[in-house]
Amino acid sequence: MKHWRTIQLIAARVGERLLVLVIIATILFFMFRLMPGNPLVAYISPTFTAEQQEALMKAFGLDKPLSVQYFIYMANLARGNLGDSFFYKKPVAQLMGELLPNTLMLTVIPLLLAYAFGIVAGTVLAWRRGSKLEGAGIIYTLISRSAPEFWVGMILLTLFAFKLKWFPASGASSPGVIYSSFLHQVTSADFWRHLILPALTMAFYLQGLPLLLMRSNMLDVLEEDFVTMARMKGVSEWTVVLRHAARNALLPVVTAMALGIGYTIGGDVVVETIFSWPGLGRMLVRAVANRDYPLAQGAFFVLAALMVFMNLVADVMYYVLDPRVGRTKEATT
Amino acid sequence: MSVDVASTQRSEVPVAEIATTTAPGSFSALWAGLRRDRMAMVGVFIYAAAFVLAIIGPSLAPYDPQQVIKDSAGNWLTSQEPSPQFLLGTTNMGRDIFSQLLYGARPAVVVGFLAAFIVVAIGTIIGLVSGYFGGWVDSVLMRLADVAFGIPFLPFVVVLVAFLKPSIWNVVLGMSLLFWCNTARVIRSQVLVVKERDFVEAARVAGASPWRILFVYVAPNVLPLSFLYGSLAMGWAILTEASVSFLGFGDPKVISWGFMLQDAYNAQAMTRGAWAWIIPPGLCIMAMVMAGFFIGRGTEEMLFPRLREQ
Amino acid sequence: MLKSHKKLTRREFLATAAIVGSSIALASCGATPTATPAPTATKAAAPAPTATKAAAPAPTATKAAAAAPTTAPAAAGDAKARVIRKLILVGQDQGSDAKEFEMGKFTADAVKQLGIDVELQAMPWEQLSDLVWYQRDKWDFTMWQMVGRAERSDPDELLYNLFHSSTVKDGYNFIGYIKPEYDKLAEAQRAETDPAKRVELVKQCQAMLNEDQPYVNYCHQMMDYVYNNTVWEPSTILDQAGIGAKNFWTFISAKPKGDQKDMVLVSGPVVTAINPLYISGGTDSWVTELIWDRLMRIGTDGLAKPWAAEKVQWADPKTVDITLRQGMKWHDGKPVTIDDVIFSFQAPMGDEAPMYKPFVSRIDSITKTGDNTCRFVLKTAYVPFETASLAKINLIPKHIWEPVLKDLSTKPENAEKYQEKVPIGSGPFKFVAWKQSEEVTLEANTEHFNAPKMRRWVLRFVANPEAVLGMMHSGELNFISFYAGDPALLLSEVQKDPKLSVVSTIELGSRFLAMNERRPPFDDVWFRKALSMCIDKQAIVQGIYKGRAVVSNSIISPSMKAWYNDKLPPIPVDVKAARQLLKDHGYDWDSSGKLMYPAGKTETLAK
Repeated sequence: MKHWRTIQLIAARVGERLLVLVIIATILFFMFRLMPGNPLVAYISPTFTAEQQEALMKAFGLDKPLSVQYFIYMANLARGNLGDSFFYKKPVAQLMGELLPNTLMLTVIPLLLAYAFGIVAGTVLAWRRGSKLEGAGIIYTLISRSAPEFWVGMILLTLFAFKLKWFPASGASSPGVIYSSFLHQVTSADFWRHLILPALTMAFYLQGLPLLLMRSNMLDVLEEDFVTMARMKGVSEWTVVLRHAARNALLPVVTAMALGIGYTIGGDVVVETIFSWPGLGRMLVRAVANRDYPLAQGAFFVLAALMVFMNLVADVMYYVLDPRVGRTKEATT
Repeated sequence: MSVDVASTQRSEVPVAEIATTTAPGSFSALWAGLRRDRMAMVGVFIYAAAFVLAIIGPSLAPYDPQQVIKDSAGNWLTSQEPSPQFLLGTTNMGRDIFSQLLYGARPAVVVGFLAAFIVVAIGTIIGLVSGYFGGWVDSVLMRLADVAFGIPFLPFVVVLVAFLKPSIWNVVLGMSLLFWCNTARVIRSQVLVVKERDFVEAARVAGASPWRILFVYVAPNVLPLSFLYGSLAMGWAILTEASVSFLGFGDPKVISWGFMLQDAYNAQAMTRGAWAWIIPPGLCIMAMVMAGFFIGRGTEEMLFPRLREQ
Repeated sequence: MLKSHKKLTRREFLATAAIVGSSIALASCGATPTATPAPTATKAAAPAPTATKAAAPAPTATKAAAAAPTTAPAAAGDAKARVIRKLILVGQDQGSDAKEFEMGKFTADAVKQLGIDVELQAMPWEQLSDLVWYQRDKWDFTMWQMVGRAERSDPDELLYNLFHSSTVKDGYNFIGYIKPEYDKLAEAQRAETDPAKRVELVKQCQAMLNEDQPYVNYCHQMMDYVYNNTVWEPSTILDQAGIGAKNFWTFISAKPKGDQKDMVLVSGPVVTAINPLYISGGTDSWVTELIWDRLMRIGTDGLAKPWAAEKVQWADPKTVDITLRQGMKWHDGKPVTIDDVIFSFQAPMGDEAPMYKPFVSRIDSITKTGDNTCRFVLKTAYVPFETASLAKINLIPKHIWEPVLKDLSTKPENAEKYQEKVPIGSGPFKFVAWKQSEEVTLEANTEHFNAPKMRRWVLRFVANPEAVLGMMHSGELNFISFYAGDPALLLSEVQKDPKLSVVSTIELGSRFLAMNERRPPFDDVWFRKALSMCIDKQAIVQGIYKGRAVVSNSIISPSMKAWYNDKLPPIPVDVKAARQLLKDHGYDWDSSGKLMYPAGKTETLAK
């Protein structure tokens, strides 16, 4: 049964991805514990006595051997306990929960924008092969892929927020505005006004890849037999492009989304800083600068988990859209 | 012509063989291919220029990039407009921007080259071994690649650099630990194809050891692909180093273009209208990255390494 | 189309090797990817050391012969052992504090003029404080600063904690300055009840410190706070000596002119906790100051005045009676009682609030003496008690915190970990909302005895200094309460925009170079004084602070008009005289111009 096979493959993939996550968590653990420097320094005020420092080390489990710490860490992780932030004194998981929606929006929306634009633009460029538009389009794409994101962000911020004053310059909402729920936030115009600039900055960088991929695939597909046939049948140019070519070229683009995900999450960090977007990326940077180890660890883990999850989504989409490859994959590995 | 299905692995770029019209699969073929493509030559030229600048740039610089320049009365010449004396003006602390720009070429080239080389070396070797030997070796290595793929690279480099020491070598280390996976996947796919070829079969029959076959027969046919990914990796490396410096985790002793942009950002160069401070380093970074793309055989071949017989 | 096999030709192999080899070569020459030029960079305006080498006369020529032992220039090995090692100056890196970083670079270059090799090691703030605090014998000298807080309006905290020998081991005297005469002075000033006499003692302390130069005091920064004068009545924006316009009094008296009744202000560092028993960073205290009241508060003149307490009466130097103001209510509606006050001072005495424990440590007993009065008895006479304790401890509701603290006493965590969902205080502002990493919103407590004139107080966290400027112009912000960027730029932006006004104050804190007296040559007062003479503080003020700072020669800021000793002889900036001073005290230079210890002393700390 085709579907059963697909489900099996998906399940296997889920398992693989979870394993990857476990390995990442382990790497994270060792990275943070073996780093030079006393992790408690940023936390313990000089007014603490030696006994209090001892007690705090005990409370954080920093006096136990590394292997014991590891097991405690993994057990906690499985339960969703990411420890407590040194500075905030709150559970890291709670802080993550508060900020995750913001980062999620800043990850998903630019991806969607970038792919929507890239796919359409790639199609147009393929259609207009050899024209001036294509030449300009290629140059534009190269620029978008080689300009540093933060540089673009700085310029866009100055232009649109300071000079033209079209958009606000920071945050995810106007001062004093309070959202009652995530749904409320996502449907409020104020939120979108704040989201546009950072999202565009990221989308600008991301759209290059789908654009080129789509164009390339389209160029291939447009030469294929069935397209020639359709043309010979007298079907209109537009219909040929849209109905026949685009649909077949789409698959590799969608599957190549995974490549873009890594860039998105990396870009988050920088874009959130410039636009003061209250998200995980910015929190990670601050936590690292402050040596707030549990928080830095937690933020990093959540970002990695987000990436793994999105890769998984891409995997599933791939299998669902083209189970044929799943079978072939089995044959070649 | 459809893409080789066998190589359409998840989340990787489909790959076909590199066809050439001159001498088969070698560097001379690569060079010929580059020469034909005008954009690629531009890329090569940019790299060469950067290389030269990396070596002689510091001697060309009119001022020491760290030095605070004062006038005859001892006043610090801060935030000067571009002039014949200061081609790009001075920073808000009175340092010559043009000199900094020239000095910035060296870390860019060093980071770019080194990271690209390491990434390509690791990626190619892993791709070769994984593709050729298959089996559990392949599984383990590809699992490793999955992990490397699953780690968000900028946060990782940031954390690594912040905790070890903000030095340029740690930035390179961080990138090397993660960037190889893309190359490895692609090389692996190519190896899967190449290893089925007749000459490899012939060598096997002749009794050559697997390692010999791998490095003497298979490797040269994938090396041009490595080279292409190397040039891409160089661009990514420079972008990443710039981002890390921008966030403030860069090497404080090194004037890189990313450092210059961080400096400009912290000094509110945009509000001042100090475009001569902001635009040139960004353009330099862009030029280096674009050169990598150009060398990647133009835009199409960059993603689908297959010459278009036009 | 198929490739035939091809082994690597020799040519290709060599080409590859060439590329690889040259990149490695480039990498190693790139090992110093930046030029760290020798001090004699010809374009520098500073005098080249070679010039001063001529000025250093041969050891036998001058009167120093009297002090010089007969073994003088002969033993070359002896001279080599006397050469002072490379000194490491530590300080914050560019990301942590750009100005501190630049001051570090400037200082390193200045000290080199004495003939010493100096290296600046810049690092993030946390790493620096770890080194300076916990590894007290491992650093030579450091750029440092004391932040001005309202509680530091009384000079005791600075003069005693920083320089008294009792805090050398793990307190604020991390430089290891030990001088019995100074100890006596410091102890005397904190017990002296006659105000005029106390001022005299405080000034004597400063004079002694100026002589000994344990710190080289650089400057006090000007704090420029900018506000929107179309939103706020300018006369209601109040300046507090040493603190600036961003102070408690401004927040409660700022009067909105028009429709905008919310104050929107900004901070770079975020608020991490809203907890009356915990302070993790400066910004937290902006909020706790407003939500919770205290018995006294530091007024705009820098002196403590009664606030939640109606009367503060000293029966004797160790005993003070408090009369609580009537009619105060907690934000949840319950009345504020004297039991709450007593509880508020007892709570930090345990182990649950380590940050506040030192501030109640001098209290021997607190007894309720009436329906709304109580009596504090101190262990010893402690004149700064009002500032250090009564104006610092937050009044917390017993009915909320007693069960919380009781519960916490059974657990390893302390009260710092506890975060109320809706923090309850009795202060002039009530908690409304806290959007993590984005903003904190408070609203005016209209029932407070000194209710604010604004409707809401909204604190935004903005990481980008440029965004702050833009937001001020666009009206998104109407008070710049934090600005990490270029001060000269801020002022020019204010001048360009008529709706912006600025209030400038000299800060209470100061920036200085701290020298570790555990490590020679910093244990020698003459070395420290000579070093001090090499630092051109005015140049720092002009170049790094763009004029927005004043040169300082005391840890006490001129903004503390009552305490500041303005008669201290300034340190002249004179490298020649500095070198002469060293010479007069036995120092000398070797043939390559490197500074050496006086004869008989050798370098023991070189690696």
